[in-house]
Amino acid sequence: MKAITLNINGEKCRVQARPHWSLAYTIREKVGLTGTKTGCEMGTCGSCTVLLDGQPIFSCLKMAVDAEGHEITTIEGLEKDGKLHPLQQAFIEDHGMQCGFCTPGMIVAGRALLDENPRPSEQQVREAIAGHLCRCGTYARIVRSILHAAEMSQNR
Amino acid sequence: MTTETTVVGKSLPLIDGYEKVTGKLKYAGDLPALQRMHHAKVLRSPYAHARIKHLDTGRAEALDGVSAVLTYRDPIIGTKRTCGQVWTDPSFNFRGPLISDEVCFVGDEVAAVSAVDEDTAKEALRLIDVDFEELPAVFDMEEAMKPGAPRVRPWGKNYLDSSLFAWGDIEQGFKKADYIIENRTTMGNQQHAPLDRNACIAHWDSEQHLTIWTSTQALFWLRDAICEFFELSPRQVRVHSTPTGGSFGLWWANNFMFIARALARKARRPVRFSLTRDEVQTTVKRRERPITDIRLGVKKDGTLVAQSHRHLLDNGAYGNKFDPYQSVADLYTTEHGRTEFIGVSTNLLTAGCMRGVGDLTLAFAIEQAIDLAAEKVNMDPVEFRLKNVWKTGDILHTSQEVVFAKLMFNKEPEIRLTSSGMHECLRKGAELIGWKDKWKGWNEPSAVDGSRRRGVGCALSTHISGLPFFGYNGIVIKVNSDGTMALTTGIGRMGQGGDTTQAMVAAEVLGVKLEDINVIDGDSEVCPHTMVTYGSNGMHMVARATRAAAEDAKRQILDLAADALEANAEDLEIRDRRIFVKGSPDTGIGLKELMSKPIYEYLASPEIIGRASQGVDFTKSGKMMIADFCEAEVDTRTCQVKIVKFVAVHDSGTIVNPAVCENQVAGGMYQSLGFCFTEHLVFDDETGAILNPNFMDYKLVGPMDMPDPIIHFVQVYDQDGPFGAKGIGEGVTCAVPAAVAAAVRNAIGVWINPPITPDKVMAALHRG
Repeated sequence: MKAITLNINGEKCRVQARPHWSLAYTIREKVGLTGTKTGCEMGTCGSCTVLLDGQPIFSCLKMAVDAEGHEITTIEGLEKDGKLHPLQQAFIEDHGMQCGFCTPGMIVAGRALLDENPRPSEQQVREAIAGHLCRCGTYARIVRSILHAAEMSQNR
Repeated sequence: MTTETTVVGKSLPLIDGYEKVTGKLKYAGDLPALQRMHHAKVLRSPYAHARIKHLDTGRAEALDGVSAVLTYRDPIIGTKRTCGQVWTDPSFNFRGPLISDEVCFVGDEVAAVSAVDEDTAKEALRLIDVDFEELPAVFDMEEAMKPGAPRVRPWGKNYLDSSLFAWGDIEQGFKKADYIIENRTTMGNQQHAPLDRNACIAHWDSEQHLTIWTSTQALFWLRDAICEFFELSPRQVRVHSTPTGGSFGLWWANNFMFIARALARKARRPVRFSLTRDEVQTTVKRRERPITDIRLGVKKDGTLVAQSHRHLLDNGAYGNKFDPYQSVADLYTTEHGRTEFIGVSTNLLTAGCMRGVGDLTLAFAIEQAIDLAAEKVNMDPVEFRLKNVWKTGDILHTSQEVVFAKLMFNKEPEIRLTSSGMHECLRKGAELIGWKDKWKGWNEPSAVDGSRRRGVGCALSTHISGLPFFGYNGIVIKVNSDGTMALTTGIGRMGQGGDTTQAMVAAEVLGVKLEDINVIDGDSEVCPHTMVTYGSNGMHMVARATRAAAEDAKRQILDLAADALEANAEDLEIRDRRIFVKGSPDTGIGLKELMSKPIYEYLASPEIIGRASQGVDFTKSGKMMIADFCEAEVDTRTCQVKIVKFVAVHDSGTIVNPAVCENQVAGGMYQSLGFCFTEHLVFDDETGAILNPNFMDYKLVGPMDMPDPIIHFVQVYDQDGPFGAKGIGEGVTCAVPAAVAAAVRNAIGVWINPPITPDKVMAALHRG
C-alpha cells in the first residue's frame, strides 16, 4: 500500500493504493465516485474515460500511482452548482442513451472534443467516440447530442 | 380507434436521464459496501467435461482474510429439483446442484471463495488443490443426439423431447405443391455482451431472511428461483434489482447470484460477487446456436401450400430451451404445416434466451427458404411475401399460448392474430430502400462497379409482445398531497425506458405531466408482482395494469372532485393537473388544491391509491411486425461486406415514445449486424474453451462501423394494447440477419450463414 493524493474534480483525495490498482478501480472503489464505469478493464469499451489534464484517457489503463500530480476530471465534475453541462442537457433532450452505462464515458469524451474543437463536424464527433462502445446501439443519437451540445455552448 | 393524447406519442426525455448523464445511476457494481462485506471469486473448470478426483481447500481456508470456501461437499448448496423437465416454473437456472463434482463446460464452477478483498480471494483460489478426471465431451449438436454419444451432464438426456406442432395434412400439402424447396441454415454463437459486468451482493440480515442486490431484468423470477432452489419462502427473500448496464436476456436468475447467496450463508457476512469481463463473456450464457431444416411447398403461381421446419437449438451445458418463442413459425399462413423444435445439450457454455430468441434464428431460416421459393417461381421477393404473409385474424398454430395451455391445462385453444400491419410495413420498406430501382431480378445485382457488387434483400419477422404465463401485473399509484404521484412497478430497467413509458401511460390517463410521476421499482417486497421484463411485454401487457391502476386512481380523484364541485363524477374531466366539468372548463379545481384540502368528516386531507393486479387474457396477446430491407456492397477482391443502407419498418402498434422506440430499433439493428459479421464466440475445437472472451477479439459494432438505420413506424392500433400499443424491444433484432444475407446473396449470388466473414465470402465465391 502506498499513500497517494489524487486531484479529482478539483478536490484532493488521499487514498491508500496498491501499485497494481488502476485509476478506474481506485476512483470507483476507494474514492467512491462510481460514475466512471468499467466495462472491459482493458481499454476496449471506453466506459471508464476520464480527463487527465484535459485529455481523455481510459482510466482502466492508467495506474493510480501514476495519476498523482495530474488534474483528473470525472463525469461527476461536469455538473457545476447544480447546473448540468450542455452535453448532459443535450444527452437528456436528444435521448443520447438507453441503459446509460456508456453515457459517462461518452459525455467525458464529448467534453474533451468540444474543449478542443467547439464546432465539430459529425465525422469529427464520430472519430472522438470511435474508441467507445454502446451495446444498446445509440450511436445516432449520441452523435446528435454532442452536435447539439456544441450548438448550445456557442449560443450561450 | 384512436384517441387524442397529450403525453402518449411524444418523445419525452427519460425520467432517469439526469441520473444517467451525471453518473449517479447505481448499477449493482456501484452499490456501496455493506459493513463486514467480503468479496467472492470462483475457481473454474479448465475442462469441458470432467469429474473432480481430488479436492483440498485446506490451504485456501487457512489464508488470512478468507471467510469461506464453497465446494460441492457443502450441504448448504441448493439443487434445482426439476432439472431435465420442461420448464413451467420461473427458474432458468438449470444447473442441478449449485456446484457439482462433475463440471460440464470450460468455465463451470469448481469452488467459490469469499475473502476480505478480491486480491485475497484470488490468492486463495491459487491455494486450492484440485485434480480432475477428464470425461468424454461433445460439442456438436448432431453428434450429441446420436446413440452412444457421451453424456453431457450427470442428469437428463442430451436432448429434450421435441416440441411439435402440426396442422392440416403435411404430406397431402406437399403433394399439392408444384415445387418443393429444401434448405438448411445455421448461425454463429452470439454473446449478449452488455457493457456492464454485473455484481451481486447477498446478505443474510438474520438467520431467516436474505436480501440480494443485483442488476436483473427479472425481479420476481429471481426471487422465486432463489426460493425454489434453496427451499425458502418469499417471506424470507428480498430482492433489490438495480437497472442493468444492458442485459438483452443475460441477467435473469444466474448461477453467480446463487453462489453469492450460498457464500454469504457460509461466511456469515455480506458477500459481493463482481464478475470480470472474461466471466461475463464465457461463463453465464450465450444465444442458442441453431441448425434449421426447412421444406416449403409452393405452387407455380407463388402460393405457399405447405411448410415444415425442424429447428435444433444448442442449449450448451445447462440451457433448457424446448420452445424458442416461435411466433415466426406462423408468419406465412399455409393450410398444412409442421414445426418441430429440439433443444440439444453440448459441453459448451450454457445457451439461453437472447434478444429476439427463436424468432431471430428461425426467421433467418424461414426467410431464406422463402427467397428460394420466390426464386423458384421467379417472383419478386417483396411480391411473394405480400402474397403469402399472415393477416389479422389468421390462426396461430404454434403460438406459445397454445404451448402453455397444453402444458398447464392440457387444452388446445384456438388463437388468432389480433392485429397486423405487415403488408404496409413491406410496402413502406420497399419504398424507403428504393426497391423498384434496385431489385433487378434473381441473380442480378443492383449495381456492379469493378470488383464491387451491390445487392438488396428484404426479410420479415414477428415477435411476441409478452406472454400471459409470465404472470400477473400489479401496479400501485399513490397520489401525493400536492398532486404529484408515485408509481410502483416491478418492471425491469435495462435501457428500454420501461419506467418512463409506464409513467407516460399513467400521466396520460391522470391528466398530469410526466415529471409529476416518480417511479418506484426494483424491490420485491415493495413492488406488486410484475411480469419478468422480457418478451417485449412492457408496453403491451404491463401497461394494461398501469392503465387500469391509473384509471382506478382517476375514478377516486373524480369522486372527490365531484363532492368539492357539487357535480357528478361522470361529468368531470381531468387534464393539465386540473379537474373540471366537461364543456365548462372554468368550473373546476386544481389537483393540488383537491388533494391538499381537508375533508370535513375526517378533519384530514385525503390520500388516493390507485391499484390494479391482473393477468392477461391469452387470446389477446398481440404480435409485432417487422420488415427490414438491406443494401449491401461486397468487394469481390477483398471479400469485405459493407452495409450501404438499412431500412427498418415496424408495426408495434401505437408508438408511446418515438425516441425510445427509435433507439430500440437502431440498437437491435446494430446488435444483429454485429451478429452477422464480427460477433461470434469462437470455441476451440479440441477443448471447447472460448478463445475470444473480450471486446478486443469479440467485436461489437462501434460508432464508425455501420450506417444509421432509416426507421419507420407503421402504427396499427391494437385493440388490446394500452392506447393501441404493442411490444418492440426484442423483435428489433429478428429480421436483420436474414435481410443482410439476402442482400449479400443478391450481390454475389451465394447464401452465406452468419458470421459472414471475408474468408467465407472468398470460399463461397470460389465455389461459384
